[in-house]
Order: sequence, then structure tokens, then C-alpha cells
Amino acid sequence: MGKRNNLVVLSSDDEENERSLSSNRRYSKPKSRSLLTRSNPNPRGAKKARISHSRSRLSKESSNVNEIGFLYDDFDEVFNGFKVSAGKREHVSGFGGSNANGLWVDKYKPRSLEELAVHKKKVEEVKVWFEERLRSSKDEFGHYVLVITGQAGVGKSATIHVIASHLGARVCEWNTPTPVIWQEHLHNSSAGITYTSKLDEFEIFVERIRKYGLIPSSSAKEPKSSNILLIDDLPMTNGKVAFGRLKKCLHLLVRSTRIPTAILLTDYGEADSADQTARCSEELKLYLESAGACKVAFNPITNNSIKKTLSRICRLERFNVTAEQIDLIAKASGGDIRNAITSLQFCCLKPDPLRSLSLCDTTTTYLREKSDEISALDGEFSLKFGRDETLSLFHALGKFLHNKRVALMDQDEFLVRDKFSRLPMKMDAPEKVLCQAHGQARPIADFLHENVLDFLCEEAIDDAWTVASYLSDADMLLATFRGMLTRYNEAENVLQSAAASVAVRGVLFGNSHPSPSRWHAIRRPKLWQVEQSSLCNKTEIVKRRFIGYSGLTLSDLSVVTTEYTPMLKWLGYGTSGGLETRQDLMQDNKTEDNFDKMSLDDQQEIETTDDEIEDW
Amino acid sequence: MLWVDKYRPKTLDNITAHQHIAQNLKKLVTEQDCPHLLFYGPPGSGKKTLIMALLRQMFGPTAEKVKVENKTWKVDAGSRTLDIELTTLSSTNHVELNPSDAGFQDRYIVQEIIKEMAKNRPIDTKGKKGFKVLVLNEVDKLSREAQHSLRRTMEKYSAYCRLILCCNSSSKVTEAIRSRCLNVRINAPTEEEIVKVLELIGKKEGLQLPSGFAALIAEKSNRSLRRAILSFETCRVQQYPFTSKQVISSMDWEEYVAELASDIMKEQSPKRLFQVRGKLYELLVNCIPPEIILKRLLYELLKKLDAELKHEVCHWAAYYEHRMRLGQKAIFHIEAFVAKFMSIYKSFLIATFG
Repeated sequence: MGKRNNLVVLSSDDEENERSLSSNRRYSKPKSRSLLTRSNPNPRGAKKARISHSRSRLSKESSNVNEIGFLYDDFDEVFNGFKVSAGKREHVSGFGGSNANGLWVDKYKPRSLEELAVHKKKVEEVKVWFEERLRSSKDEFGHYVLVITGQAGVGKSATIHVIASHLGARVCEWNTPTPVIWQEHLHNSSAGITYTSKLDEFEIFVERIRKYGLIPSSSAKEPKSSNILLIDDLPMTNGKVAFGRLKKCLHLLVRSTRIPTAILLTDYGEADSADQTARCSEELKLYLESAGACKVAFNPITNNSIKKTLSRICRLERFNVTAEQIDLIAKASGGDIRNAITSLQFCCLKPDPLRSLSLCDTTTTYLREKSDEISALDGEFSLKFGRDETLSLFHALGKFLHNKRVALMDQDEFLVRDKFSRLPMKMDAPEKVLCQAHGQARPIADFLHENVLDFLCEEAIDDAWTVASYLSDADMLLATFRGMLTRYNEAENVLQSAAASVAVRGVLFGNSHPSPSRWHAIRRPKLWQVEQSSLCNKTEIVKRRFIGYSGLTLSDLSVVTTEYTPMLKWLGYGTSGGLETRQDLMQDNKTEDNFDKMSLDDQQEIETTDDEIEDW
Repeated sequence: MLWVDKYRPKTLDNITAHQHIAQNLKKLVTEQDCPHLLFYGPPGSGKKTLIMALLRQMFGPTAEKVKVENKTWKVDAGSRTLDIELTTLSSTNHVELNPSDAGFQDRYIVQEIIKEMAKNRPIDTKGKKGFKVLVLNEVDKLSREAQHSLRRTMEKYSAYCRLILCCNSSSKVTEAIRSRCLNVRINAPTEEEIVKVLELIGKKEGLQLPSGFAALIAEKSNRSLRRAILSFETCRVQQYPFTSKQVISSMDWEEYVAELASDIMKEQSPKRLFQVRGKLYELLVNCIPPEIILKRLLYELLKKLDAELKHEVCHWAAYYEHRMRLGQKAIFHIEAFVAKFMSIYKSFLIATFG
């Protein structure tokens, strides 16, 4: 407990500092000391504090359930050298019970169907599905697997738990075991334990489930209870082979399990769609469905139900939070209720300093004060937490390309010539949109270049030129000091964002007569493909450099391409593959999609362009 | 063997188109130590031929025993080491390479190779320390940094090796390098000279040349001797005996650019611009250098253009050619030029025809 006290002292030290900064400098010495101690926090001390704290918590709680939960939570921390094989974790609803210090997310976990913020119909759908399968005798239904999808924090697992407790079923949960760190692995292998990958463990788990069902350990006391298997987190796979194994394993599970099983798949936003895992999960979803699993998709939770939940928590915690604040939090959460609750808790820390101190979380208080300072500076209430709204790249591109403007304009204070004035935009500042979409200058410029012409009015060639000239400016900015500034990251960043800004604003400004809104597909820049294949052709041509001069000297590349190659083709000399493709190209260029023929080696090209997509 | 190579003069004495220069070079090499040389001039004027003949003059027939090497150079670039692959052509006395192949790592290549050459310098028969010759092609394509490092290495190792630089335009070579070299401008041969060469080849091949036929080819060749000889040979394949009205076909890509130009003249709209972009992509895929595409496109457009627009169009072509050099992706700039042209041309059409 001594250590813990120390921590509290530290935080009060902090407050003194803040005071000293404002009034006098008497406390300059303690300030430096406290900073020192904070910057190198003693890990052992912190751990001890945590343990003692949990112990105190434990002494308050006497239920066995919580003890188990605690053990799992702190197992890693206390016995670092051990490998925790928590393959199957028993989960009892109501875990984390009425612990006053706990996170609100745990504390206000929904306990009844009414408390769930998820849409009633979806809950009903899932409930009915489970009811049918739990009640009926064997083999009435073909499949016993339910796939629930939805973005993070929409209450997928909460729904399962609530429904299970409602139906009086026991939930068995598979969570991917904690990863083995390298030191641990070294230790293990020296101790003679062989490494099993998480995928292996999952396979073994599924195998066991299929063969023996759930082993009734604790349910021995209450033999009537039925089981629900919850697979919350599929193991990560890397590479096609591992993914194939996972698929096979899941297929077997879907086909043969007789225990109602829910598999939760978290949707990743489109913004991350370049991510391998996101694509995998998409594929898995389809695959599981095709294998016969039933699918329920959860939508993001509506603002209203988030607000309702938040107000309920406020009532129970007896905090006065204004409706606007709740509204803000709900909006910022983007349908993620877990995040909303955490934000609320964070927001409620403020009015009661004593309480927040007793949370023994110095960093939070520190941060809080910091953010208070900032918001005081801003002079208005602003949200310093919550999820950043992200946009997908395509969403952002759509905004730029469609170029929607406010129809009516008030009299502008700046008088510019008609030629240069534009109606106000129906979106945030382009830079902000770019930032939300994590747009990088180069791909943004390429995408805009590829697609912008579709969005111009049929007659507006002048606009086309304006846009093209701004894109050319952006390209020039991107090329300046190419590679020279890599050591000066800051400068490079400035250049990049300037280029992106020029490209985007150029497109927005230039497109002064947007074509009437209709559906356009946004294409991937053909330029990338062209670059790949021209690189390919170039290496081919470099090899043919010895065409002229009887191989006694090297010809310029341009000479080879513009003179020797076409001539040789006519003369019928050594027409190699590269030349034939060229001929093909020249002939059937009328069709749009003959770009596939362009590359010398299609297979290779597809791979390389795929890589490129992953890069951004 | 192509006629271009078959009838290429092998020695400085045999050179026909630039006899005067050839004689001077011969004197230079035989009488005294050779300075660094910079050959520049339009394509097809005979720079390479002169260089090869010069090498032969310096080192005798050994200069023709060349081997091609695909070597990976390990370059220490400050914090990391780079591996740069480059094809070189070398005999015992000279090395030839295209440093611009290394892309933006060209500056390392220049330094590294010259250093390497300086390490093993040959000793000639008289026991005198000889020097090696490094032939660098397409110097004008070198980046500015590479040219600076070339300048420094040139000074440092001038005792060990001589550089022969070769490029199309000396304006893209830095002042510092130009002043350290003997600049040799190789003019494009006149049409009469080309006719003379073609007639000589015709005689040696035993062909009947109708009067004016050689002149026709020479005119079409844009004063490039290589071009003239190549098209002479194709004409021979296409149709023999020659007639004086025979069509001298131009290169396929040139026809393609002409087609593109007429597309642009026919319609000026974003949609057409998009189609033009597709065609430009095809040219780029086939590695036709973007500068040449732009130049040819301008040439084709000017042919059909009203005189009062020519000045403005040329201005924009030059503007975007410059930007292309500064920029990264040529298509952005070529397209901007096409869009500008369309815009100019359309407003011109509206102004004249209403």
C-alpha cells in the first residue's frame, strides 16, 4: 500500500506544480523531482501498486467468480515467465460486478435484453435462432453456426452473453490466446516446450469441440444447462496457406458441430480495406455463409439508443452531464457504444477531483488537466476524446470529384471576378477531408487524374485545362527534390501535403461546371498499370540495346524505341514478344479494356499492382 | 546485318559526313594527350560513329574486342549500401555505359565507376602509364547531382582516365562540365550529304536509284543519317525496283501520333481528352520518351494549325516540356498541354466560325 500512496503523492505534487506555475516559482524543485520520477516510473512499483490495488478490490469482493476473473487479468503481469494457455475461458455473465472502481464499460454491461442498445429486431433474430437450436432435438437444423458481423463496439458479444443468460445457457468462449513474445519463446524452448501457433491451437480446439463437445466441468452441478459456444476472435493468419487452413477448419466446424456456435467477425472500415486482415475477414464471411452458416449483420448503434444508454449511466452514477455533452459524445462515437461509454466516463472524471484521485491513475488526471487547459484556451466546450471519424479514400475522392456546392450564395465580402468566384463547398475544408481519409498525395493525385474527366461537363474543355494544369503543379511539387529530402521528414511532409492540397483544391476550383450528378464508378489509376508495363518493356529494351553498331557500342534507349524497333519490325527481323504486343496495341486500341494485353507478363503485373494497392 | 552497321565508317579516315572534325580528332589523338571530350548534336548525326572511330584510332583494333557485363555495383551511400545493377561494355582500354539507367542513383554510379577504373589503370607497351577511356552516353539525362559529382571526379582522376561524353543537347549539361571538356558539336548532316551516302550505299548494294529517290528519303529523314539509311533499307524490302513516287513510310509511332493529333483537332471535349490520354498511355507503355511524344505531337498539330495560333501553342508546348522535366509523371504534363491546346483551339474556332 505504501507504493500506492506514493503515487497519490505524486499526483498531488503535480497539482502543486500547476499552481506554482501560475502564482510563484517556489515549487520549482519539487517539480523537477516529480518530473523525474514520472518519466522513469519504476515498473516494479507500478506492478506492486496494481497488485495491492487489486487485492484491496478482492478483499471487498468475496465471490469466487471475480477471483477467477482477476487471476486471468493479472496472470500475465504477475507470472511473466509463464505461458498462459487460456484457450477456453469460462465466462460468467455479471463478471466485474458492482466494482465501484471498474470501468463503466464492464460495470454497465447489459444484463437484460431491455438494456441492450442493439436494435430490437436484431436481438430478436439472434434470440430466436438460439432458442430454436437449444430447444430442439438433434439434427433438426442443418447447421449450428451463426455468424455475427458488425463494426467494433456494436455489442456483438454483449448480445450473445445477454441472450445466453436469458436462455439460461452457459457461454463457452474462445479467445485467441495471448501471443507468445520472443523471450518467452526462448524460455519455453529451453524448457522443452515446443511452440504451437495460435492457428494450431485453434485447430486443436475445434477438433476437440467436434469430437467431444464441451467438456462439462463446472456444469456438473447443474447438468440441465445448455451450452453456447462463442468464437470471438479468430486467430490471425498470415499468408495463403495459413488462411486455407483456417478456412478448412471453420468449414469442418460449420459442418459438424452440434453446439450452437456464434462466430463474431468485426468489420473493419473501408478505410482499412487495403489491410490484408480486412480482406481476409470479408472472404471468410462469404466462405462461412457458403458453408451454410447463418449470418446476422449488426449495424452501428443509433445515436438515440447510445444517448439513452449514456443518460441511464449518468443517472445511476449521479453525474450531471448536459444533454449537449451526451449528444456530442454519441455523435463522436460513430455508433460504437463501448467507446461512447468510455468517453462518458472520461468526461465525468472532471467534476470530482477526489474521486478521480482515488482511481489512482496519475496519467489520467494529468491528461485531464492538460485537456482542461486546452479547452479553457479554446473558450468553448470541445470534445477531446472519442473516435476520429475516418473516411474511406473513395468516399473522400467522391467528395472531391462530385464537387457539390451550396446552391445559393449570400453576398460575399471578398469581391473577386466572376471567373474566380465559386460557390461555397458542401463539405469540410479539403485538407480536413484528406486528413480523415488518410490520403497520401501521390495516390490522391493519381486517382483524381484518372477520374476527374468523367465529372466535367461535356463542353467544359477550359475546365479540363485548369484541372490538368493544377494536377501538373501537384506532380511537380511531388517530384521536387525527389528522394533528396528523405532525411528531412518535416520538409518532405510539408511538400506532400502542399501537393495534395494543390491537387484537390485545383480539382475543386477547376471543375466550375460539374456535370449533373450521376453514378460514376471511381477507377483505379490506369497510370499505375502503364508504369508497370512500361518498366517491364524498358528492361526488355535495355537488353536489345546492342541492336545497332554491331554490338560495339550502346545505343540510346530513345533511339532503340523510336527507330530500331519499328524498323526491325518492318524488316521482319527478330520480332520478339515485346514487339508483337506493341502491334496488338496499336491495332485494337479502340476498345477500352485492352490494357490487359499491354503487359508482357500478365501474371506478374497483377501481382505487382496488387502490391501497390497495399502500399497506400 | 543492317545497312546502318554494314556501311558505318570504321576509321577516322573513312568518315564522310564530318571529315573536317574527323581529321582534327585524329591529329589531336596522335600528336598530344587527349583532353576530355564532349560530343553533342542531334540524333543520327554520327556522334557514336565518330567516338568508335576515335577509340579505334587511340587503341587500335583491341578497341573492338568488347565484352558486355551486367555488373552490380555496391555503392556506399552514407548510411546504407546500395546495389545498383548496370550494363557496361568494356574492352581493355575503355568502358562504356549509360549512367542514366541507374535512375536517380546515377550520381553514385558515376563516382564509383570512375574510382574503380582509376584503381586498375593499364600500362601500355612502352612502359608509359596509359589511361583508360570512359564513354558516358546520354549525359544530358543525368541528374544535376550526378553532373556535379561527375565534375568533381573528373578533376580528381583526370590523370588516370579520359572521359568521352555524348549527348543530344549540351544545354542540359552543366556549365562546369562543359568547360572541362573539349566540346565537339556534330551537326546533322545536310540533305546533300545524306544523298551522297545513300547513293554510295546504293552503288555498293548494286541497286538502281531513280533520280530524286535518294533526295526523297533524305527529305523525309529529318536530317538524320541513321533514319535515312534505315528507311532506305525498308524501302528496299517493301518495293524494288524503286520508283521515284514511292511512299516512304514513317515509323508506326509517328503515324500514331499523327492520328492522335487529328483526333485532337476534330473534337475538343473532356471526353476526347480522355481518349487521347488512353493513346498517350499506349505510346508511353512502348517506352517512347515523353519529350519525343510531345515534340512530335506539336509538330503534327502545327502542320494543320492557323498561323496566328502557332506562337501561343509553341509557348505552351515549351512550358509543359519544361514542367515535364521538373515533374515526375510525364502524362500529367502532356495531358495538360493537350487540354490547353484544345481550349485555345476551341475558343479560336468559336471566334472565327461563331
